[in-house]
Amino acid sequence: MLRKVLVCAVCLCSLCLASLAEADKSELIYGSTKDIRDINPHLYGGEMAAQGMVFEPLVINSKDGVKPWLAESWDISKDGKVYTFHLRKGVTFSDGTPFTAQAVKMNFDAILDNRLRHAWLDMMNEIERGEVVDEHTFRLILKNPYYPTLIELGLLRPFRFLSPKCFIDGQSKKGVKGLVGTGPWVLSEHKDNQYALFTVNSTYWGEKPKLASVRWKVMPDHQAILLGLQKGEIDLIFGADGDMINLDSFDAIKRQGKYVTAISQPIASRAILLNAHQPFTKERDVRLALQYAIDKEGIVQGILNGSEEVASTLMATSVQYCDVPLEKRNYDPAKAAALLEAAGWKKGKDGMLSKDGQKASVRLYYNSNNAQERSISEFMQGDLKNLGIELKIIGEEKQAYLDRQKSGDFELQYSLSWGTPYDPQSYLSSWRIPAHGDYQAQVGMERKAWLDATITKLMIEPDEQKRRDMYRDVLTYVHAEGVYIPLSYSRTKAVHVKELKGVEFGLSQYEIPFEKMSF
Amino acid sequence: MNIKRYILRRLLGLAPLLLAISFFSFVIIQLSPSDPAEVAIRVNAMTPTPELIAEMRKEMGLDKPFFERYLTWLGHALHGDLGKRYVDGKSVSEELLKALPPTLLLAATSAVLMLTCSIVAAFVAVLFEGRWPDLLLRALIFLGTSVPAFWAGLLFIWLFAVHLDLLPTGGLEGPSSLILPAITLALPYISAYSRLLRNSMVKTTQEHFVLYAKALGRSRKAILRHIFRNSLQATVTGLGMSLPKLVAGTFVVECIFAWPGLGRLCVTAIFNRDFPVIQAYVLLMAVLFVVSNLCMDICAALVDPRLRERGLQ
Repeated sequence: MLRKVLVCAVCLCSLCLASLAEADKSELIYGSTKDIRDINPHLYGGEMAAQGMVFEPLVINSKDGVKPWLAESWDISKDGKVYTFHLRKGVTFSDGTPFTAQAVKMNFDAILDNRLRHAWLDMMNEIERGEVVDEHTFRLILKNPYYPTLIELGLLRPFRFLSPKCFIDGQSKKGVKGLVGTGPWVLSEHKDNQYALFTVNSTYWGEKPKLASVRWKVMPDHQAILLGLQKGEIDLIFGADGDMINLDSFDAIKRQGKYVTAISQPIASRAILLNAHQPFTKERDVRLALQYAIDKEGIVQGILNGSEEVASTLMATSVQYCDVPLEKRNYDPAKAAALLEAAGWKKGKDGMLSKDGQKASVRLYYNSNNAQERSISEFMQGDLKNLGIELKIIGEEKQAYLDRQKSGDFELQYSLSWGTPYDPQSYLSSWRIPAHGDYQAQVGMERKAWLDATITKLMIEPDEQKRRDMYRDVLTYVHAEGVYIPLSYSRTKAVHVKELKGVEFGLSQYEIPFEKMSF
Repeated sequence: MNIKRYILRRLLGLAPLLLAISFFSFVIIQLSPSDPAEVAIRVNAMTPTPELIAEMRKEMGLDKPFFERYLTWLGHALHGDLGKRYVDGKSVSEELLKALPPTLLLAATSAVLMLTCSIVAAFVAVLFEGRWPDLLLRALIFLGTSVPAFWAGLLFIWLFAVHLDLLPTGGLEGPSSLILPAITLALPYISAYSRLLRNSMVKTTQEHFVLYAKALGRSRKAILRHIFRNSLQATVTGLGMSLPKLVAGTFVVECIFAWPGLGRLCVTAIFNRDFPVIQAYVLLMAVLFVVSNLCMDICAALVDPRLRERGLQ
């Protein structure tokens, strides 16, 4: 008798456990090497994907261009300086506060109050003021007809809306009282460096997510994340440029077949910057020779496991305004050698090039935390050695690497564009800021002043055709100067358990569309 | 009376030492080639324009002379305020206090593990000296000393968490999540102390008093107890340094096991060049070592009066 009771009890328990496990399947566990940190939408300290879950913009960037979001529609004045947004009615923040034009203005004012911190975004200098027209109409007045206005309003930060109840003295720059948005998710719990729990916003105005919650679990070690996936502790790994999962592990998992692997469309440009302000790379012919000296196909096949597309121009032709006919510079060591010889670089007995007693030696700096960049550098070292150029590769911590970008003390350095929807306007815009490696590398170019002025002009050029021509001129000039060796177009990668459905990639490499996922 | 004077003297000696430590931890950070204002801007993914750098320098007080900055920092530090983190402006003292308990828990568990395992291993090795259990233990000790923590940690996760599915891979989620990180952290210490204790016990076995005790016909258990007590000196001295080392040496283990402690706080700060956190961590660890050393000295002086005399001279 006792045995029967015991057997029944065990069966009941296992049934309960099974149903519990079933019930838990409405929670997605996402493994990340990074904590979400402070997701204040008006600052830059937090993880962008997490900011995007809670806070929403007026308009959104999609594959088919800019689409309405919290604004149902908008009118643009003829001179392109006044944008009138008609806000969606019935939207509330998750704390119950209605989303109105007053709330929009409060957010804009707080962002503009912190203008210095948004210097990377050209639009900051172009906004004159925001106005409340009525409860559901907001007007944005610009100084010039800045063409990427709508695209930049749709970015993950800073133009996203925080509940007015969270502001401190009408400001958000020195911290906020809460992290409440209008988005499909609510940040319910956050334990520093351990996990963050996002639950569905029950009052969400749009289509509610199918999952009940997303647990953002922090696992700082890349290998430990993979082991966590194998153990079933996490359901999804998602990331760009090897920051969550490296290509070898990705390939191994793909071969195993136990998990689903997915790869996005090309999203950003991977390139090597050639500093036109340094002795060896200041000559244009030398820079062009280096373009022919690198076997990009070899890098893509050998190091990137064929997962990316070889880039022949800095920007993919699919990027807006970048469909410019430019000469392709494929791997051609003979041509590279000829160019170097014409520039006066002669091979010595040791097989190394020299000119006026100077050896051909260059330094390539990379972020030491990125194993992939090191492998690519080593590959290039071999290619350049065959030509008689010594390549010293130096890995530096991220901050030291950024210090070097600013000082311009490098011949070669890694460069990764920001990807859609930031390319091309925000990326080109950043070329004019001295703290960026791009600026430092370009300083040695003859027409750098013209380049910067043209970029400034094209941002506020109202005529579409003229703007297109200006983009063409800028991209053609930079290509002709050879300050970038385009390598490949990078992609975002995802690995997840088979039960998880609806894993898609957003338009930008920084967002994760959790709201489309389900079990 | 004597012991009180000894302790007082040592405590008085501590004050200038701590002051020097605070000065060095402040200076070391100032020697860093990066400009703290720029770092504070970049760590938040903002572009360091000249205007913003100027504003940030003013906000952070970097426009003031070096000694003024040091004295301000010291004054605040004495009141328990170690500044604000660059990353999110949170109080460094609060963040350190939040991260301290998990690290102390991990270090304490590792210390218990370390003591238990090394004593047991040393006894087994001495009892079976020169025979297979001794040889096996020596091989394991050799292995334990040579395996780097990051690799051992990953192997443990693979075996116990993934393959055997007995324990979680990481995080601080209940008592079971403590086991793997504690073993990984304790592993090199277990090896070191087992060897140390074993060797001194083997050496003590050859002492005359052991022979004398054997000749007196004392029981094996009693003799072993005497051997053990007389072999402890080197181990106790070593422990004085190892206990704070356990707290300070959690960097790798905490990162692999996603343990939310001091080590991870500091590693993140180092990567971000979050100077106030690094500075506070260096200060905290230096104080920990100094205080722990002092405690061990006082313990030793309590046990051995000769040390007290020497200390007072």
